[in-house]
Amino acid sequence: MDCGNARKLIEARADGLLPPGAGEGLDAHLASCAACAADRARTDAVGLLLRSRAAAQAVSADRRLDAMWTRVRAGIAEGREAPPPFRPWKWAWVPAAAALVVSALLFYPTKLDRSPFNPRTFDVSVEEVESDTATVALVDKGEDLPRVIWIIEDAKS
Amino acid sequence: MKERDAPGAPDDELIRRTLGGDEDAFRELVERYKSRAFGVVVGIVGSRDDALDVVQESFVKAYYKLKDFRFGSNFYTWFYRLLVNQAIDRWRKTSRSGEVPLDEGWLSEEVTPPDSFAHPSTPEKLLENRELGEALQKAIAALPEHHRAVILLREVEGMAYEDIAKTLGCSQGTVMSRLHYAREKLKAALGRHMGG
Repeated sequence: MDCGNARKLIEARADGLLPPGAGEGLDAHLASCAACAADRARTDAVGLLLRSRAAAQAVSADRRLDAMWTRVRAGIAEGREAPPPFRPWKWAWVPAAAALVVSALLFYPTKLDRSPFNPRTFDVSVEEVESDTATVALVDKGEDLPRVIWIIEDAKS
Repeated sequence: MKERDAPGAPDDELIRRTLGGDEDAFRELVERYKSRAFGVVVGIVGSRDDALDVVQESFVKAYYKLKDFRFGSNFYTWFYRLLVNQAIDRWRKTSRSGEVPLDEGWLSEEVTPPDSFAHPSTPEKLLENRELGEALQKAIAALPEHHRAVILLREVEGMAYEDIAKTLGCSQGTVMSRLHYAREKLKAALGRHMGG
């Protein structure tokens, strides 16, 4: 058994997951490899120290743990008396939806014979406009009347 | 996970009674699990005061969420998920505020680990070595919170990978890799004191 396999088995043993029959090979390796034996000792020590630490902390907190039910009961009573928490985000969608509806009503063309700008083809052209301010316009020349889509004025759109 | 140290009415029955308005039934659940809960939480948050708060808050939260509990599943795994998340939240808050607690009370002479936790294959002197304990404490505090939770659930609670994965809401592979990482870090910290 090489050291790499041995390290994996050391961890598996610590977790109670050593494959059947692997224990003997591991023990034989540990007897002949000081580095892996030290690794096993450290692995065991980690578990032992963590359990000891938790136990010691629980022992020192015992009296205060005795009062845990009193604390929990007080917390439960507090929860009953408290009004339901105000969650502004719960209704945040309402103004957003209202704004969406209003803008749809405002911007949807009132003339039903003319559909909103939604070109299937980009039948547009860039044209010069005779104006003091506008220099270039993007014009939709589709269907009936040409429509100005975009005007660039003094390099500002 | 088996219900250790849980004589008396089964958890499911206590939960049904609690949902029916019997507060004493919930008290029994609190008494049954408070010590184990504390043992894990204190390992994650590092301070006994914070741990007591987290355990209390978790039981209160569990009381109000009990209606969502699925009968047939394990109460403790369900409760642990809530508990560990609360503990991790608390740790994040304290670590963000720069007040990371390092409770070294367990290292003082007045506190002696119970004999039942002694391990025959490990030198007893290990526990008497204050430097070693401090090194471990610092190494635990330096671990990312999820790694700390995994190694405590495994080593202190003896939970199986599957239960840890359910508790933390991650895969078993993630549990194994976090456990390996946490062990290596703690072993490295101990190694300097154990001639490794």
